[in-house]
Amino acid sequence: MASGETVTEQPRPRAGTTAAGRLRSGRRRHGGSAALIARVIGLTVSVGIAMLVFSIINSNFAKTGNLIEMIRSMSSLGLMALGLTLLIIVGELDLSVGATYGLAAMLMGKVWLSGVPFPVAFVIGLATGATVGLVNGGLTLVVGMPSFIATLATLNVAQGLTLWISNAQSIAPAFGNPAPPKWQLGWFSALGATILPFSIPIQVVWLIGLAIVVGFLLHRSLFGFRLFAIGGNLHAARTAKLPVTKYKLVTFVLCGTLAALAGILDFSFLGSTDPSAGSSLLFPVFAAVVIGGASLSGGRGLIVGTVLGALLLATLTNGLSIIGVGSYGQLIFVGAAIAGAVALDRWTAARSGGVRRLVGWRLRRDSV
Amino acid sequence: MAAETRLRLTISDVTRTFGDTHALRGISLDARGGEVLGVAGPNGAGKTTLMRIIAGEDTADSGTIALGDAPLSAAEAARLVSVVHQEVQLFPNLSVAENLVLEQDGRATSRRPRPGPVELAMLAELGIESYADEELGACSLVVQQLTEIARALLQEDAAEVFLFDEPNSALTDAESQELFARVVKLKEEGKIVVLVTHRLGELVALADRVVVIRDGVCAATLEKDGLSEAAVARELVVGAQSEAEARQQGRERRSAEWEWSVDAWTHPGGAFADVRVGLHAGEVVALVGVEGSGARELVRSLAGVEKATGRVRFDGGALTQARIGFLPAERAHSLFPNFSVARNLTSRLGQGEIADAVGRLRVARLNEIAAELRERFQVRCQSVAQLVTGLSGGNQQKVAIAAALAARPTLLVLEEPTRGVDVGAKSEIYRMLQDFARDGGGVVALCTEVPEVFELCDRVLVVDEGRVRAELDVAAFASVTELAERLATLTEAG
Repeated sequence: MASGETVTEQPRPRAGTTAAGRLRSGRRRHGGSAALIARVIGLTVSVGIAMLVFSIINSNFAKTGNLIEMIRSMSSLGLMALGLTLLIIVGELDLSVGATYGLAAMLMGKVWLSGVPFPVAFVIGLATGATVGLVNGGLTLVVGMPSFIATLATLNVAQGLTLWISNAQSIAPAFGNPAPPKWQLGWFSALGATILPFSIPIQVVWLIGLAIVVGFLLHRSLFGFRLFAIGGNLHAARTAKLPVTKYKLVTFVLCGTLAALAGILDFSFLGSTDPSAGSSLLFPVFAAVVIGGASLSGGRGLIVGTVLGALLLATLTNGLSIIGVGSYGQLIFVGAAIAGAVALDRWTAARSGGVRRLVGWRLRRDSV
Repeated sequence: MAAETRLRLTISDVTRTFGDTHALRGISLDARGGEVLGVAGPNGAGKTTLMRIIAGEDTADSGTIALGDAPLSAAEAARLVSVVHQEVQLFPNLSVAENLVLEQDGRATSRRPRPGPVELAMLAELGIESYADEELGACSLVVQQLTEIARALLQEDAAEVFLFDEPNSALTDAESQELFARVVKLKEEGKIVVLVTHRLGELVALADRVVVIRDGVCAATLEKDGLSEAAVARELVVGAQSEAEARQQGRERRSAEWEWSVDAWTHPGGAFADVRVGLHAGEVVALVGVEGSGARELVRSLAGVEKATGRVRFDGGALTQARIGFLPAERAHSLFPNFSVARNLTSRLGQGEIADAVGRLRVARLNEIAAELRERFQVRCQSVAQLVTGLSGGNQQKVAIAAALAARPTLLVLEEPTRGVDVGAKSEIYRMLQDFARDGGGVVALCTEVPEVFELCDRVLVVDEGRVRAELDVAAFASVTELAERLATLTEAG
């Protein structure tokens, strides 16, 4: 045996008592995901630089009102990205999030306007998202089609249903005929349009609150631990007899439900919803997740990254429009940001040896 | 194709390491045109690495490979060396004939290149002309392999070296004979033929010389007159003896708290039929059998990974599927590359162990358990927070086995428990499994090497053509050589 393999064991200082120990214990919590920590730092710096540049070019950017609106406008995108992060980590994806967003809002509005009390309609709206998730999961896990195809199908079905039930008309409950009772309208707008003290929009609180809940679920629960395992190596997860199908199904349902909630909150904020609502959100949501460091091949990602990814997108979109770059230019910038983030990730991963080791691992398996 | 001046493939002092695994440690050998060179060796000896290097698919760290007088570069190797794998590396969606003319340009009249008289003559010579228009993926494996040979022979500078790497492990006997007829023909044409196989009978029948590779060097060369199955079997187990004997002395009888058996056990795909396998607490049972014998499917079916029907009996409590742990041969199917050592070690644990009743992960407890497991199973790593992919093959395998044992199975089923593992780690793994059995567990292992059977197991079942051909008590054999010879005659009898 190679002499290099015998590692003499020295008693280690308890983690946390020295700087090196703290570093070790910090890394230990994230299961050797130094690259993800690098991603978080990189994103924070990117957001900071972008904000600095925009505020130098146009002083309106740094005004509190603008920053608050910027964060509010990213909150629904952020909510959808939270659900998608879970799904991408477990090795699946969902193209139907945007369509679910639109369908849930429209169905809730229609049911409500037909006379059902608002709280019931709200639950029905959320259940719509859960149902789309259930169908996505069923098609993927029971029928066995790739989630790309399954969710492409439900994307179309959901869009069709939205157009059908709305008769291609947008709805605004406050101006309905007859309009729902006052207290119900109050509840409705309270969900997404409330302004809290310090003029903080409630949508921001929804995003932060749910990011904490989902972050806990992913990084601090057995459920999340196993999502990473399933996404990291499906074969090994099956070998270890982890409940693969059940966990994936739950994740599909969570993703659908969060998309529905995002749609309902925006509906509440705007006071109206139209049949095409959400259809333009699909790609920004994916962009936020990918910029945030989740790997489309599964097993890698983190919630802070996704939230920062959404924030970077929002900063770019808002800042570019404030300094007068039109929507064409914005698209080009966002595209460059996606490519740049992933390219940077590849580069850091290769440098930290992650990719090389994985390749080496495969080589070793094949050749010895 | 006329016989040319006798070519020589010379390999001198080739080394190759992967991380801290030394796959080849300065191996030298030569192969001559017009002969079949057999290559034998235990798993992990470096056979496949050597084949990949000769074929230019991998590069040596040091040493030279020469064909004739000129060194063989990787680019030349790709042209002059043809490898016939168990997995054919052609295009399954094209026809047999189309696979032969891939590199040619289409003509103006037909955008797809068409096979000409040369290609058709080659197919006829190999006896597969009737398959010319069949889609390759729909053909039998032997036709696919013959197509691969045809392609190699048709290249502008026809391949001079043919490497057969376990070519017939998925072929029937008749198909193997067909393939070997071609091997002999290649040799008669003056080509250099290298045959790697686990089947000793075939080595002896086909090869003019056999080299035995052990621990990355050429350990022995057997010339035609000294060539017999027993001789090769003896060479394969040299060096394993002393450790194995030491282990035999430590053997003790264990109490049988439970007994488990399957009866009339039948595979729906026909890999095995009407088999009986049983073991009791404290026993380590090996199943041996060449690829295609049904041994692998049988082991997998015992773990519940592969379907099979029959009667299952368990005396002494309930043995549910959840209490049977399984570890496949490929580490790529047993470890999580995105996880640290700690998370891999605890990946099979659940509530009450690494999480509380509501499912909150107890990270500190997880790390504690991981540290304990690392200590108990002597996993060598800088820290349990390190990514598992940074470990050597042997330590990765220890992590995989430790993770399976951490879930406290009653019965642990393993495929090739020490594949790709160096000698030192091997004996540690054997100890892990024997300790588990001594504490009342049971182990069923698919073994491909005799020393492993001798060192690890109490009993061995020999599987051949889907039946249990024989059942041997390992303790009845005084030495690993004796066991190797007995097993060689048993597989020969089938």
